[in-house]
Amino acid sequence: MKRSRRAFGALFALALVATACGGSSDEASDTVTAEEEAVEEEAAPAGKTEITVTGPERSDEEAGALQDALNVWGDANGVTVTYLGDADWETNINTQVQAGNAPDISIVPQPGKLADFARAGLIVPLTDEVNASIEWSDAWKQFGLVDGQQYGVPMKSDLKSLVWYQPSRFAEAGYEVPTTFGEFTALVDKMAADGGAKPLCVGIESGTATGWTYTDWVEEMVLRQHGADVYDQWVAHEIPFNDSRIVESMQAVLDLWTEDNVYASGGTIAATAFQDNGQPLVDGDCYMHRQASFYSAFIPAGTVFGDGPGEVNVFYFPDINGDKPVLGAGVLAVAFNDDANVMSLMSYMGSAQYAMERQQAQATRKGGNGALSGFLSAAIGQDPSIYTPLEQSFLKILETAAIVRFDASDLMPADVGAGTFWTDGTSAVNGDLTAQEAADAIEASWPG
Amino acid sequence: MRDFAGKILSTLLTVTIAVGVSGALWVLANLLVNRMRDRSVRATYISRALTGFVVAGVLSGNRLTQYSTAAPGASFVGSFIQWIWLPIVVAVAVSASSFVTERQQRRERRIIVDVLLIGTVGGVLGALLVDTARPNVVPGEVALVAVFSILFFGAIGATVHRRVRTLGVLRMALLGAVAGLVLGAWGVGDLGASSTRSGIVLGAIIGCLVGARWALIPAVSGEHRVATERRARAAVFLAPALGFIAIALVIPSLRTIYLSLLDRRGSKFVGIDNYLSIFRNPKAWDTSRFGLLWTSRLTVASGVCFLVFVLLAVRSRRRSGHFVEFGSASAPPLILAVMFAGFAVFSTLRGTLVNTLWWVFVVTALSTGLGLLIAVLADGVRFERSAKAIIFMPLAVSMVGASVIFRLVYISRDASKPQSGTLNALWVGLGRLSTGEGFARLLVGAVVLIPTGLALLAATRSLVRRQWTKIALPAAVAGGGIWFSLRYWQLVGTGLGGQRVGKSGEIIADPINFLQEPPFNNFWLMLVLVWIQTGFAMVIFSAAIRAVPRELTEAAAIDGADTQQIFWRVTMPQIGPTIGVVATTIMVLVMKVFDIVKVMTNGNFGTEVLSNNMYREAFYNLNIGLGAAIAVLIFVSVLPIMYINIRRMNRTI
Repeated sequence: MKRSRRAFGALFALALVATACGGSSDEASDTVTAEEEAVEEEAAPAGKTEITVTGPERSDEEAGALQDALNVWGDANGVTVTYLGDADWETNINTQVQAGNAPDISIVPQPGKLADFARAGLIVPLTDEVNASIEWSDAWKQFGLVDGQQYGVPMKSDLKSLVWYQPSRFAEAGYEVPTTFGEFTALVDKMAADGGAKPLCVGIESGTATGWTYTDWVEEMVLRQHGADVYDQWVAHEIPFNDSRIVESMQAVLDLWTEDNVYASGGTIAATAFQDNGQPLVDGDCYMHRQASFYSAFIPAGTVFGDGPGEVNVFYFPDINGDKPVLGAGVLAVAFNDDANVMSLMSYMGSAQYAMERQQAQATRKGGNGALSGFLSAAIGQDPSIYTPLEQSFLKILETAAIVRFDASDLMPADVGAGTFWTDGTSAVNGDLTAQEAADAIEASWPG
Repeated sequence: MRDFAGKILSTLLTVTIAVGVSGALWVLANLLVNRMRDRSVRATYISRALTGFVVAGVLSGNRLTQYSTAAPGASFVGSFIQWIWLPIVVAVAVSASSFVTERQQRRERRIIVDVLLIGTVGGVLGALLVDTARPNVVPGEVALVAVFSILFFGAIGATVHRRVRTLGVLRMALLGAVAGLVLGAWGVGDLGASSTRSGIVLGAIIGCLVGARWALIPAVSGEHRVATERRARAAVFLAPALGFIAIALVIPSLRTIYLSLLDRRGSKFVGIDNYLSIFRNPKAWDTSRFGLLWTSRLTVASGVCFLVFVLLAVRSRRRSGHFVEFGSASAPPLILAVMFAGFAVFSTLRGTLVNTLWWVFVVTALSTGLGLLIAVLADGVRFERSAKAIIFMPLAVSMVGASVIFRLVYISRDASKPQSGTLNALWVGLGRLSTGEGFARLLVGAVVLIPTGLALLAATRSLVRRQWTKIALPAAVAGGGIWFSLRYWQLVGTGLGGQRVGKSGEIIADPINFLQEPPFNNFWLMLVLVWIQTGFAMVIFSAAIRAVPRELTEAAAIDGADTQQIFWRVTMPQIGPTIGVVATTIMVLVMKVFDIVKVMTNGNFGTEVLSNNMYREAFYNLNIGLGAAIAVLIFVSVLPIMYINIRRMNRTI
């Protein structure tokens, strides 16, 4: 009796081994069939007929216009392109990549994450042909450049240093648009003292990305208080995150975000979704809202942009030292395979034609008639007339400003830029940590 | 469309073949067992030959899958023939050596012969493996996996044999060594590009171990044949289930443990660094606020309860000889004191580990306690069925669903706007009433004053009659009512509820941000799970209470016990094991709590727990090593509870 149990015990152990090894041989046979298919397909040189693109943009206007613009290429080439906007993109892309079912193309808002992916060998570099076809300046392309190879295709540019306001309400209350940071803080104090509407609308809730609005404010302050050089050192971790200058900027934002100064429709700043600040601005619950150019997508539909009654306009978030620094951001498309059609779609996404299709689709979705689309592209060779004059002025600022810096949190390693800078920043906003404690915690989390 | 049909067809084909092959294998194994009783020596040869075939087949397996990648012209049949000869040769060699061993009667000789022969076969197998099937051995890794495997199998051996017997453990440990070496070399290491020598050495070692293992089986004696067949049959029937457990549970857990020893990208061995960093993380244990413990209101409440307990306990001791026992007047204050003390400690300590422990403490205590209370109170009342059904219903709501519902209950809006969250609407509404004027204010005040007065009356009466055990409840109600009224009528402070006085004396709504105000936002999250789990506890307890034999309670009643005494001294001891099972089941669930935290706060605002932390590290920060280490930590901390739970369940059911 004993003997057979042992024999089967041994078999069981082997079964363990066999299943472990069996897994890998299955994979091997899968690749075999894939290669077979590839061989078959070489006869008729065609790539995938279904391409999936994922990204974090998901509002009806943004995701819809993106899909419309992709359809233009898809219809012309007989390929079904599906865009999937994902609220938890930052997490899900990792899971998808780990599980081996990555999309064909994903739209990455963080060059830092793009570099992580590239160094891990998860995304494929652009072919020389596609690289040469991108109609963007090198200044933008460099954010998709990792170790000398181009991985990302710029698709969108955002101008962040803007303050949204209603000129008519300013005129009513006798406020002037501030031109220096001193005037800005004085205006905030005056508005708070006057009672009525609060000076600022702030909300930093954004699902798993909660806190990014705070990081934008901190970046603006670092640029303004300490200049572009310190900013670059900070991004490259040449100065520690808890450098006294950075802490000073973090504190400056917190000082501005007092209860008297901020209208938060969610009760507190950290509970208010960043999308939910457009309505109170139009309703007159607050006077000003500092947010990027794409924010026009979240201003209630039907709002006219201009200086008339009830209309919404922007002013430049004033600087301190007179050097007019500008904070920008953008998204880049990356490919997870080098299928012929995927590469050709990548080339299209980097073209001026794509930018114009998307701009027109998005403007139409926003109601047309000169409404701001919320989309902006610095692609070269677009017909400027498809942008409203205000949007053209944004583009001009991006092109001509002497100091333009990419969103720092997007450039930092994902652990920090899409991790602790958001979460510990949120804790600081909530008062659970001081600016110094938050900076210390973020510095401790910097991967090294 | 054609594509889709083709996919379905090929999937069907694959499934049919897989099912057919597995079925055939299984039937074959049964047939083999049928023959075993009569020809057990031959069965031994066959089973060993099969083992040899499988081992050699698996180890040289990738020759089979290489036919198209290595040589473009090669056919599957050709590769199959190239592959099949080695397993067949090994199978024949193994059964031949068994034949020789079976001729030996003395154990020492059997061991020597078997070790030498099978060791040689192993060495030859190692030498004959093609380059691409030879593992690139990293001695450290192989040794690690082997040691772990030996411990694992040894532990199984020790459990299976109940009484620890050296021989049994040794046999399992040998098995573990073999499995560990094979896994460590071929499972962990990369295949290909290694020297012939390493293949031979490894093969020979494995062969020797297998030989030793087989030699430890005594020669066929014939007396155990019936039992042999029974056991073999059991093994054949168990094999599919064990196989699935291995694929879905054992192998992933082993891999997780392995990954937890690697660095963030899963490429470099870092030992226990990941485990250390869990505990070194300042966000795991934050003791900086511990000093607040001594001045916190919860500590004071706990102290007061403890004082009451001491007073009652001294009395109780005088009467029954015990300071505290089931149902004595001194028990409730003690429980309250412990609860308050626990809350006080957990609310001053912060961090991931502390939060997880806090969850375990609160959810287990509240769910079990409330479930028991409801089960007892609802037993035999008029609307028992509907009441229980309503309380049971949340169990059907998914955790994510419940979290979304409770988010809406907890939500707060800007003070200038109406509150849309249920709790805040009530809280701010109470504030309005308390500071407002008119009929509603009077009504609410009066509604509270009536029960307060009644409770006060009852407490006074008990005091006069010296019925000490009956004072506690009315006194507590009266105390609460008086405190409410004092605040509500603004006799003390500025009124009750969500309102505060602004700079210029105006009254402003002051909603509570339930999800963002640490440390008690943790508690609001826990309530969601309590809401779900109370129904579960209640149903089990109801059944357990029903199952208490009537003779016992009737006998107690005849002996003159009152309802309380019957419950505490007869029913409670009877359902004690059930309470244990329910509490441990809930504990295991709470240890793994993830959905609620993920949906409601995503671990922000000081509500991080281990599971969410694991998810964040593994899938968000792509820190595979640390994520795996946290997973292992959860696994290990759940294990003892699981063990107790399973043992209890076996005992009670």
